[in-house]
Amino acid sequence: MEILGIYKTLDSAATAVDQLIADGVAEERITSLSSVPYPEGVLIRERRRPAFYLSTLAFGAFGALSGFALAAGTAWLYPLRTGDKPIISIFPVGLITYELMMLFAIIGTLIGLFWTMGLPEFNRRAYTDEIGDGAIGILVMTGDDEELVRARESLLSSGAERLCTEEEAG
Amino acid sequence: MNTRVDHNDAARMNRAMLSSMTAPTWRWYLLAAVLGGVVALGLYAFTVQVTTGMGVTGINRPVMWGIYIISFVFWVGLSHSGTMVSAILRLSQASWRRPILRGAEAMTVFSIAVAGLFPLIHLGRNWIFYYLLPYPNQRGLWPNFRSPLLFDMVAINTYIIGSSIFLYIGMLPDLAVVRDRSSGWKRRVYAFLAMGWRGSAEQWRVFSRGSTLLACLIIPVAVSVHSIVAWDFAVTLVPGWHSTIFAPYFVIGAITSGVAAVITLMIVIRKLFKLEEFLLPIHFDNMAKLLLAVCLLWSYFYFAEVFTTWYAHKPIEWEIFRFMTSHYGIIFLIMMLGNTIVPIISLCFRRVRRSIPALLIITVLVNVAMFIERFLIVVPSLSHKNIPFIWGSYTPSWVELSIGIAAFALFFLLYTLFAKFFPILAVTDVREQEEALIGSQQLGRTRVGTLVNEE
Amino acid sequence: MSKETSDFHWGMVIDLDRCTGCGACVTACQAENNIPIIKQDGIAKGRNLHWLRIERYWDGEFPHVRARFLPMLCQQCDDAPCEPVCPVYASYHNPEGLNGQVYNRCVGTRYCANNCPYAVRVFNFFNPDWPKPLEQQLSPDVTVRSRGVMEKCSFCIQRIRRAKEVVRLENRELADGEIVPACAQTCPPQAIAFGNLNDPDSHVSRLARSPRRFRLFEDLGTEPSVIYLKGGGHEHPG
Repeated sequence: MEILGIYKTLDSAATAVDQLIADGVAEERITSLSSVPYPEGVLIRERRRPAFYLSTLAFGAFGALSGFALAAGTAWLYPLRTGDKPIISIFPVGLITYELMMLFAIIGTLIGLFWTMGLPEFNRRAYTDEIGDGAIGILVMTGDDEELVRARESLLSSGAERLCTEEEAG
Repeated sequence: MNTRVDHNDAARMNRAMLSSMTAPTWRWYLLAAVLGGVVALGLYAFTVQVTTGMGVTGINRPVMWGIYIISFVFWVGLSHSGTMVSAILRLSQASWRRPILRGAEAMTVFSIAVAGLFPLIHLGRNWIFYYLLPYPNQRGLWPNFRSPLLFDMVAINTYIIGSSIFLYIGMLPDLAVVRDRSSGWKRRVYAFLAMGWRGSAEQWRVFSRGSTLLACLIIPVAVSVHSIVAWDFAVTLVPGWHSTIFAPYFVIGAITSGVAAVITLMIVIRKLFKLEEFLLPIHFDNMAKLLLAVCLLWSYFYFAEVFTTWYAHKPIEWEIFRFMTSHYGIIFLIMMLGNTIVPIISLCFRRVRRSIPALLIITVLVNVAMFIERFLIVVPSLSHKNIPFIWGSYTPSWVELSIGIAAFALFFLLYTLFAKFFPILAVTDVREQEEALIGSQQLGRTRVGTLVNEE
Repeated sequence: MSKETSDFHWGMVIDLDRCTGCGACVTACQAENNIPIIKQDGIAKGRNLHWLRIERYWDGEFPHVRARFLPMLCQQCDDAPCEPVCPVYASYHNPEGLNGQVYNRCVGTRYCANNCPYAVRVFNFFNPDWPKPLEQQLSPDVTVRSRGVMEKCSFCIQRIRRAKEVVRLENRELADGEIVPACAQTCPPQAIAFGNLNDPDSHVSRLARSPRRFRLFEDLGTEPSVIYLKGGGHEHPG
């Protein structure tokens, strides 16, 4: 369950985060929603480093292998002499291997990014259109009703313009 | 004094930067119709070619490659715009890239898409273009991966997919802003495209690191793509083509072409969508400095090429250059003017760099000169090849010219459609910059603005 | 991966001392290989479809002018620059030393024509048109090429294949001089000789050992299978 408090200025949003922590909400459960990024620590501190690099590397390695198989492997299976050039040589095979490695690395980055960002997200989540126009949302992910009530009170007391949950999202 | 951006400011900036996405006016429809008409003309010319034969072009022996390959190289060159502006400037943390990067990335995608059409257009038997693809078949047929044209196919493919991903990922937060501001069926479309982006702190962190990684990946791809296109020429035995300098020379030429085109496009969209507040003279000043640097580099490479040919004076190589300057003397001079003389001299002056009309003329001239440069690489070398008995020349026919012009129209049409349906300015990037200006402070005798910069 | 070898390596020797520049070989080649006829406007544009051409160069100043003739055809290079650049393997090297052109596979990128230093590759710009009754003379042994396809001299590969079939049926060896391409067959002064360069006793091999021998563009390293013999008296000025 999620509850979102909407704030109009950066300062009020920052106060809200401090208030939530003071009221006993675990820091890992708090995040900000905004249409522009804020520097590290302005609202939320970084918890763990994103690991989408692994996806890039894995896909890149696969791409290099498939490039090699495509250029060298297929040429070895179906050799046809052209000029005096060897059937398999370093330059053409190297180029194709490199290109496919980069292609798959980029695709792997896309997949890795989406995975770590939690996208695509088509379920209803707490959100409001005002965030696109510059409002800042402070989101609390709560486990049960008691935490929800506590978070709601804390957000209200720190001056949220309004609150919204998944059901009201729109 | 608190100069921090507040909610109303953000909404106003959104509205201003997304002004291109309002309901289309009759002027927009007219523009789209005119461009569509030119594309249709090109399609008609292409149909004539496919049904009648390659004989309707100006191709002959020995000049077996003409306007189509020239256009191909030109458009691949233009596609270095986005990579240069967005990727390289992002990595060097040049904050003035922000208003420009979306337009440049879109340019990359559309110009490489247009470029990718030309290898299909110039085939003698276009209808069996799929022979170039490695598909399993029962006849034991396979394409030749030792051929530079296959390197082309793989590289262009990689670049199209890579730059599209780069554009899309960069656009994700902006698509969320557009989604928030739209309603009805449009909202559903943008909601799908935005993939549920909410702008949480974790998403932003991953986004910023991921964009940097993508920028690191796309730059080597761009360099390799244009090097591979250069090697289409350089690995042959054609005098004038067989030169080791071709790969770096083409890459620099591409960056020159791309940077000039970005400046031109920025001038156009600034006027059309009234974005004077966001595209400031300082942006043009910096881009013009970049253009000056690459024009100098291009001139350096060209000089090295001509000087070594002249000094060694190998008969067939010098003949190519002599033929080019005598037979195509006028366009050669235009090329020198547009690529070397005018940009290098004029862009040294701050007043010129900050003058929008002057920049428009200079950058259009640079791209005209770059197109001529591609022509002067392909045609003279082939015209006066190794054996004097078959020396000839080349004049493009109406079919080739129509298709060449239709390519420009197609590019502008795609761009116009993109500007109407997608955010042409990197909304969140620009607003991030505005938000970083957190106030002003007394420093010495005056007040200066204070800017947050995250390392 | 070792190269495939064969008993045969087809080669041709053209004796420039005997060549009169009459052009009978050009006509014979056109007749044998179903080459379309290109009219004046096509020729003027540089679109002639001669697989074999006679290059004529003028030497000297008037009144001591001399014409030199060089029959130019596909040199069937061992290190052919046209072969690796074809993206669809339409141009490949067969074990008998011939540069094969596969018409059905050609998509018409024309890269091979650009890379050929001898410029012997020709392109079909339009569909061939044989006004009646010329279509009666088409040889059934040779493909009729459509537009969009590259073509070039094949050393009359249809005659090579036909001769090999005959000797296999007759259960004997191929004799030297049994295979004669159309140009060699027609040349009145018999300036063109064709045969197996792998056989040291064949007519072409013996001619190829002549001190007058030279090949075109040796410095490019294409290793042509066509050997020319200097002559015609033109190496002595005056």
